[in-house]
Amino acid sequence: MMEWALILGFIAAGIRTASPLLLASLGETVVQRGGILNLGIEGAMLMGAFSGFMGAYLTGNLWVGLLTSIIAGVLTVLIFGFLVIRINLDQVVSGLAINLLAMGLCLYFFRIAFSQGAFPYLGDLIGPYAIPGLSQIPVLGEVLFNQTVFVYIGLIAVPLIYFLIFKTSFGLRLRSIGEDPVVASYLGINVSRIRYLSLIIEGALVGMAGGLLTISMFNVFDSRIVAARGFVAVSIVILGRWNPWGALGGSLLFGFTEALSLWIGTFLVGPAAPSVSLLLRMLPYVVTILALLVGGRKVRGPAALGSPFSKE
Amino acid sequence: MPLSPIFFKKTKFEVEKVSNASTESDSVTRSDHSIFVRGIRKTYPNGVVANQDVTFSILRGEVHALLGENGAGKTTLVKILSGCLTPDSGEILVNGRSVRIEDPIKAVKLGIGMVHQHFTLIPTFTVAENIALSLSLSGRLNLDAVKGKIKEVSKNLTLEIDPDARIEQLPVGLRQRVEILRLLCQDVDILILDEPTSVLTPLEVEELFKTIRRLKSKGRSVIIITHKVKEALAISDRITIMRGGRVVKTLPTISTNEAELAALVVEGFASSLRVDRGKPGEPVLMVKNLSVKGKRGEMAVKGVDLVLHAGEILGIAGVAGNGQKELVEALTGLRRIESGTSLLKTCDLTNRPPKFIIRKGVSYIPEDRIRRGVVLSMSVSENLALKNFEEQPFSKNMVINRESIDRYASDLISKFGIRASDPCATVSSLSGGNIGKLVVARELSNGANIVVAEQPTAGLDVKASEAVHQKLMELRSKGVAALLISADLDEIIKLSDRIVVMYGGKFVGEFTHDSLDIQKLARLMLGSA
Repeated sequence: MMEWALILGFIAAGIRTASPLLLASLGETVVQRGGILNLGIEGAMLMGAFSGFMGAYLTGNLWVGLLTSIIAGVLTVLIFGFLVIRINLDQVVSGLAINLLAMGLCLYFFRIAFSQGAFPYLGDLIGPYAIPGLSQIPVLGEVLFNQTVFVYIGLIAVPLIYFLIFKTSFGLRLRSIGEDPVVASYLGINVSRIRYLSLIIEGALVGMAGGLLTISMFNVFDSRIVAARGFVAVSIVILGRWNPWGALGGSLLFGFTEALSLWIGTFLVGPAAPSVSLLLRMLPYVVTILALLVGGRKVRGPAALGSPFSKE
Repeated sequence: MPLSPIFFKKTKFEVEKVSNASTESDSVTRSDHSIFVRGIRKTYPNGVVANQDVTFSILRGEVHALLGENGAGKTTLVKILSGCLTPDSGEILVNGRSVRIEDPIKAVKLGIGMVHQHFTLIPTFTVAENIALSLSLSGRLNLDAVKGKIKEVSKNLTLEIDPDARIEQLPVGLRQRVEILRLLCQDVDILILDEPTSVLTPLEVEELFKTIRRLKSKGRSVIIITHKVKEALAISDRITIMRGGRVVKTLPTISTNEAELAALVVEGFASSLRVDRGKPGEPVLMVKNLSVKGKRGEMAVKGVDLVLHAGEILGIAGVAGNGQKELVEALTGLRRIESGTSLLKTCDLTNRPPKFIIRKGVSYIPEDRIRRGVVLSMSVSENLALKNFEEQPFSKNMVINRESIDRYASDLISKFGIRASDPCATVSSLSGGNIGKLVVARELSNGANIVVAEQPTAGLDVKASEAVHQKLMELRSKGVAALLISADLDEIIKLSDRIVVMYGGKFVGEFTHDSLDIQKLARLMLGSA
């Protein structure tokens, strides 16, 4: 009986750990379908995490933190959009620049806001919310319906994003731009407008993914808090073959490995335990590489992914 | 530009006058014109005057051929009509109303649509998705409605198509049909087809012509651009000949003939080419039981045997995609040979690197000249010396001798008539036709024993094509062996001493120049012998 509860707890933790990856990879799926490779997602998540923390810390309201993280995510991604759409800079370089910019900005404002040595933390976190009724279902209720709001948003977003990409005219245009922006623009499609719109969607999702790290997972802010989750999200997009359901599968895989690595760590004893458990923390990243080796070969993404487009 | 009533009246008057003057043979009233253009002038940013004082009209329900050489201004004219380019001056009237066509969308609204030489389809999308894309829909995507519309239009014109087929899986002829259907779904009644036959097999050309006739019978107008006189005669009601950016003449097809048209297309050019036969000598290239895999892992070349003799041109006829490309790539070292051997005299070339094969004297004129033939960002002279810059006199002790390269380049530039401002100009500043000449010049001037020529005259005008043919025959008389792969059956028949037919990765037939049976050849090409 005890073991059963442990396993359920582990699954629930896996889903919870997967939620930031899910939100971020859904956002990245949208923009990559439109041919934009946004590696600045790491920076956008960091901005979301920082702004979410500050919003929640200064107002004492965690929901304000959620809102500020979304706004920060959208703004950061729009800066990236301006660089690659308007100025037509290289997408990879711009993305990496955004990451550096975000790191610098967060460190700077954090230092301005708090004196050296201060250790600000949020007194409360957005915790699990049991959905009345559904959470009473045995097993499923425990695992799926006693989760944080971010898990619910992520799970609802999967079919929504799927519908957006594959069942709407907007999605058809978006995908055509990802395949061949020159042809799309010839057909009268406003490439820049659709790309900006897709970036706004991504910004909101990625910002939220960052925010949930500070306002729902950890109650502190640290400039290393994102810990390459943005980059992992990019590989999840490839692994999920640019499909929201694939992103869900990929996120769960990494969520579970991350949960697993922490979980095993708690069982370790002896003098080597701390270093072994640190080593285990690499597990999700090793799995990223292995999964890409197995599932990422011979996949065909949007044909124009990463290539610049200018009208003239 | 707002039109004042006076201006409009004046234009109307002039239109009447001009149209009376220009249509000597058929008395038409102005209202029969679907489009009337007058005095169009277009200068490109690089100073090339592509259209000068062009006056042209198309009637309702007419098939009108625009005939001319590369660079005659045909494409520029139709790009102006379809809104892809704006003219510097001149006027366009559609159904008697003066209009400005700023972009392709506006053109479609006016009922004018164009099928470009390079298709504007998304290969990974289905037919229905591609057509939906240009119908400016919004909200939820209702593909069933689009499919219904496609079915309705295609039934009306008996143009069958599977709306759920993915474009990349369709043959070129059907892709073109999708482009035409897309325009029809947008209620376009003047269709412009830019060099529509250049990508098609003979059978597909037949199908296209049937389609055009059906369109005509339903009251649609078609402008077809071509540089082939025969095609213009076969399909059109009227022919407008363009040369050097100007309209030379508009003629009713019925009252003209091939000789007259040919003379109008290339004024002052009489073919000086004397086609002779080669005297095949010793075998130089011996290919045994060669098998090569294609891009998708399928067996593209299935156990091919081939012997090429010195002083011989061997033509490989076949519909594109039957293994010719893979065969050529295997012979030039660009693709792995799965089994079989390729011998140059006694030297084994099987799976040797391209550089080794080049050193052994195998020249290669690739079909995709831009991606495989040149380095766009390097200069003309550097590109001309690209295959032997390591040798004397181009370099000595690993130091390049620019002077000798430039001298060599200048020589080839004048010999092959490459239009480049100077040998140091980058290749990216050259036109497609001139890039073709450059590649041909390099490959035919480096003392090769064997020339593998893939579509050597594609994109070249009559004069340049003749120069290439001349050079190939000249080399043949010197004992060079050539493998000629061409979609242009006329070219193969004209030059080849021997013709093999490739179908489904195999050689399915062989003819000598004297035993040639064109009907049988055409049947073999389609796999129905």
